[in-house]
Amino acid sequence: MKRDLALLLGILLALLAALLLWALHATLALEPGPRLAELASARLEETGVSNPVTAVLLNYRAYDTLLELAVLLAALLGIWSLGPAPAGYQRSGPALAALVDWIVPLAILAGGYLLWVGGHAPGGAFQAGALLGAAGVILRLSGEPSAGLPGEPAQRWLVVLGAGVFAVVGGGLLASGFGFLTYPPGQAKWLILLIESAATVAIGVTLTAAYVGGRPGSGTAHNGTGQSRTVQR
Amino acid sequence: MADLLILPVLVPLLGGLLATALPVRSALVGTLAALATSLSGLGITLLVWLHGDLGTVLGGWGVPLGIGLSADGLSAALLAMASLVALAISIYAGSYFAGSAQARHFWPLWLLLWSALNGVFLAADLFNLYVMLELLGLSAAALGALTGKREAIAANLRYLLVGLLGSLTYLLGVALLYTAYGTLDIGLLGERLGPTPIAATALALMVSGLALKTALFPLHFWLPPAHANAPAPVSAALSALVVKASFYLILRLWTELFAPIADIGAATLLGLLGAGAVLWGSWRALRAQRLKLLAAYSTVAQIGYLFLFFPLLASLPPGTARDDLFAACVLMALTHGFAKAGFFLAAGLVQRKAGHDRISELGGVAQRMPATTFSIALAGSALVGLPPSGSFIGKWVLMRGAFETGQWWWLPVTVLGTLLAAAYVFRVLSRAFGLEPTPLQFVTNARSEIPALLLAFASVALLGLAAGPVWAILGFGAAPA
Repeated sequence: MKRDLALLLGILLALLAALLLWALHATLALEPGPRLAELASARLEETGVSNPVTAVLLNYRAYDTLLELAVLLAALLGIWSLGPAPAGYQRSGPALAALVDWIVPLAILAGGYLLWVGGHAPGGAFQAGALLGAAGVILRLSGEPSAGLPGEPAQRWLVVLGAGVFAVVGGGLLASGFGFLTYPPGQAKWLILLIESAATVAIGVTLTAAYVGGRPGSGTAHNGTGQSRTVQR
Repeated sequence: MADLLILPVLVPLLGGLLATALPVRSALVGTLAALATSLSGLGITLLVWLHGDLGTVLGGWGVPLGIGLSADGLSAALLAMASLVALAISIYAGSYFAGSAQARHFWPLWLLLWSALNGVFLAADLFNLYVMLELLGLSAAALGALTGKREAIAANLRYLLVGLLGSLTYLLGVALLYTAYGTLDIGLLGERLGPTPIAATALALMVSGLALKTALFPLHFWLPPAHANAPAPVSAALSALVVKASFYLILRLWTELFAPIADIGAATLLGLLGAGAVLWGSWRALRAQRLKLLAAYSTVAQIGYLFLFFPLLASLPPGTARDDLFAACVLMALTHGFAKAGFFLAAGLVQRKAGHDRISELGGVAQRMPATTFSIALAGSALVGLPPSGSFIGKWVLMRGAFETGQWWWLPVTVLGTLLAAAYVFRVLSRAFGLEPTPLQFVTNARSEIPALLLAFASVALLGLAAGPVWAILGFGAAPA
């Protein structure tokens, strides 16, 4: 009985998938109508950056990106609301520790490079932030319980920094008569760089804090093994 | 002036960020931000009331490159309801969470949720709506799990996953539309959309994704545990506001964007699901052992009524009769927003006072908490659809529409649902008495009882006796009756 039901479900799902594939095929077979890509490239010079992806994320559709940062924050707040962080891992041996001492500064350096290069080539705040987050994950895995993050008050300011700077710039432009997130001509580049720098730090800290997996501040929460390590380097 | 459309999204967002950064002062920051958000929402409603539809495109690029914001009568009506209900919930929450560690988690998430809610009502771009729905779903699930109890976390993890499935299904439809028509702006897309199989597939995908998020029967399975296990102010927000956001979107897409292909057959399918929701939700509410579970199942039923309007709207030509039906559908959604928020807030007070919310053991609550019981009775009468509540007018127009279009089969559904609703509301009220002697004063805790009472009162009096403004802001003639 149960197997019949599973079979029936499988057939129905396969039919649904076939229908969707057909719809996709029919859509792709259409005459290519007007697309936003051409329009976006045509006006790229006015955006203050020469990488079209950054132009879409930080200028044409900056409002979406601001809210994506808020989504990231909401995810972290949800994690924090569920309880304190587990204690973390035991301290790494000398070989791994030496490797970590090399990798983490390199990851931070590469993050800075990606942030800057995002203006004219693939890169940008999300990629740079992801590298910072990876650096934090490596620190945590190697036995640093705080994963390189500062204490709770500073951490809270850092995770709101990205959306905060973004929203304040947007609101400031609105108040000075340009319209929300409407950059004045000539200043787009520097405003975008300011927003992206703040967003990079916020994304890096948020991803690391999400990996740490609980509210900061309580420091020495006990995990399953009952051990707690708050040794600082 | 249209530049100001961003404020109902920006103000709570900034408030939420500040409440995150200042956890010790989160209640103060949160209350002030709630007040400012509410004022900005009501301000936009007033602007629409005075000047008609507003629209702007962010970034100075114009459509289709930039993201549009727009407010018409439908947006403004829901924005006004959300502003008032969310303000009442905020005031209640200030007292409910006072001195509790949950406060510092509640305020940032609550303000982010409110920002996304207003964002949905004001968005004019299909992808922007997806981002808003993600923020809404994520913050709602996190808030629902705030008690930290096992059942609450399990129910809200399911809510989160179901919500993600719903958003992704919606996004799949958006991707099809973008590939076929090359724009994400709802206005532009409406001009280009024709009755093609691709548009029909997109409609099916987007509406099923949103129906999952709005808990339309039989996709409602996640709602009762998630809403019943959340803290009271969160339950109120989830039931009164969050499910309305996806319902609003279905209504808007169905009647505007997809008007060329959303025919009577598809609308009848939605109507049948709505009828199933009315009967099943009301029946389960009648059988519920706990007050908050009863309220949650009642939400399933009330969402059902809203979908009964779709087949009637589809079979009527544009004109006064169709306008009346549309306005009545909006009126029912608004009334349910006020009534269910009031009901959940009052139920939360009962649960706090009694230490439980088992309906069979609620004897004497009415005498101990007269204002709270009165709120439950008022909100309950709006859920049943007794005059003069807004849902009485809504159901009246619904039944008249069913007569006029010859679709008589929606009548027994409405009547049966109403009888069941009366039964489950009176089942609660009949348990609430029985303490002798009747003591004490009417209001026992002003800061938490008054918001619940005002919401319940609004659902009955504000929207019932003064339904005219709802018709007026939607741009229709005078209200019937």
